[in-house]
Amino acid sequence: MPAALLVAEHLTRAFDARVAVRDLTLSVAAGEIVTVLGPNGAGKTTTMRMVAGLILPTSGRITLNQVPLTAATAGEARRAIGLLTEAPGLWERLSVRLNLLTYARLQGLPRPSQEVDAALAQVGLTDRADDLAGRLSKGLKQRVAIARALIHRPPILLLDEPTSGLDPASARHMRDLIVGLRRDGRAVLVSTHNLAEAEELSDRIAVLNTTLLALDSPAVLRQRLSGTQVAIEVEGDAARWLPSLGSIPGASAAAAGARLTVDLPGLAAVPDVVAALVAAGARVVRVLPDQRSLEEVYLNLVGATS
Amino acid sequence: MSGSGLAWHRVLAVARKDAAELARNPGAILPAVAMVFGSLFPAFLVVIGAPMIAGESLERSGDFAEEAQAAIGAIPEIAHLAGNALIQAFLFHQFSLLLLLVPVVAAMALATHAVIGEKQSKALEPLLATPLTTVELLAAKTLTPFVFALALSWAAALLYVAGIGLVAEPGVWRSILGPRSFLMFVVLGPLVELAALQLSVIVSSRASDPRSAQQLASLLILPITIVFVGQLMGAYVIGPAALLLGALGCGILNALLLWVGVKVFDRETILMRWK
Repeated sequence: MPAALLVAEHLTRAFDARVAVRDLTLSVAAGEIVTVLGPNGAGKTTTMRMVAGLILPTSGRITLNQVPLTAATAGEARRAIGLLTEAPGLWERLSVRLNLLTYARLQGLPRPSQEVDAALAQVGLTDRADDLAGRLSKGLKQRVAIARALIHRPPILLLDEPTSGLDPASARHMRDLIVGLRRDGRAVLVSTHNLAEAEELSDRIAVLNTTLLALDSPAVLRQRLSGTQVAIEVEGDAARWLPSLGSIPGASAAAAGARLTVDLPGLAAVPDVVAALVAAGARVVRVLPDQRSLEEVYLNLVGATS
Repeated sequence: MSGSGLAWHRVLAVARKDAAELARNPGAILPAVAMVFGSLFPAFLVVIGAPMIAGESLERSGDFAEEAQAAIGAIPEIAHLAGNALIQAFLFHQFSLLLLLVPVVAAMALATHAVIGEKQSKALEPLLATPLTTVELLAAKTLTPFVFALALSWAAALLYVAGIGLVAEPGVWRSILGPRSFLMFVVLGPLVELAALQLSVIVSSRASDPRSAQQLASLLILPITIVFVGQLMGAYVIGPAALLLGALGCGILNALLLWVGVKVFDRETILMRWK
């Protein structure tokens, strides 16, 4: 496993009496995408801001690229991150090039113009360099914003709602860019509401609702909540075979049409289920794993804490 | 979260960006340019226009002859003049105080746009996620408006002198180029401007649109106007000593505003409040 470039330990942030994030611990390794998923007000943006060194946690520790983030080191530590905010936040009266050039200068890059050209090429905007930022579509603005986050080649990328408000083609382009960042070996922390996007992009998903409810790969998250569930298709009405499954320890089943949905304590029980059905006279057409969608898992997790 | 040192390359990066934005935003520059003409016009109206309309020179009307004579102690630059020229020089000196409004209005107009523009375009969060410190941001937000407003106020002063040279009695324009004007435009002017800038930036960090910020920051116009009106009514004549005293007061005010500005410009505070 590559070294973790971003480590957050026991982060808590309160605004007066309201706790926005409580005891959050997560890490992101080089070449890994971790998505923070949660409802509005779950603490996603607060988490991003803490990790970006924009606001201090009330308690807990953050390490960016092996440098502990403190008030004294924040300026230096911020060099390790590129932040994409939900709103592109461009200077709309200025050209795309001047927007990026300002950031290249702010980062103290030795050859700012060349770095701007490289960043524009990376997001496919070389031919729009001299356009006014205000004249670009939302999708193109977001691409300029990601070029801005990449201009100093940071090892850690923080992307807050990167596809929010984008049309499907622009969102697809943005997701491709994010996957490219993983290939480049960056540690990428994404915050999103979009479950499908989280599932598609993420190596791991952190479900957050003030506290961290779960942190694992999408497959493991689904497995963890749904246990082992199989769908068995039989010839004819499935309901008549329900009694034959009563002898399987820990199994529970439901029937709908020709389909039986069976919850089991583990995969080892599947042959026993099939044998019991066949012994009772059922003609089994097929047996399928039947996992819950990530949406069900998410709603289950978040619903339990709301 | 702010570092201790001031990295000028970062200050200049933001200041250059602000200058480029300003150049493309006539709406922000217009009040400042209008103020130049607004501050020049009354002097020429009273000293040149009114006597022309009345068909009688200032000397003959006798309105200002005594005051002009009495002002020689405070404004020795006019001592070598006599008659109509003395009165004109005296009045042009009196009205020159109005030119102090140019750097104040220009600074307020430009600084409020520089700060609130960042709020409105939501550009602050990515900006603060760079190594830029809050003190550097404060310096950058002050630098471009300071240079621009100073250039404008000096241009206004040059126009004033050039206008006097064109329409006033011979020798009057030269009397303007003395220690009093030097103190007013090179010492007091920049200090008043800096105070206006700092006040504007502080107020802008709490306001959400340029107009409300400018209204609050325009508090600085009031003392200048009061001093001007008092002078015009003959209550006193502002000489070099009074200008030096004003400069000292402005210096203290600037130090106080700098202290407040650094406190207000806390990274987390601006991020949470600048919405």
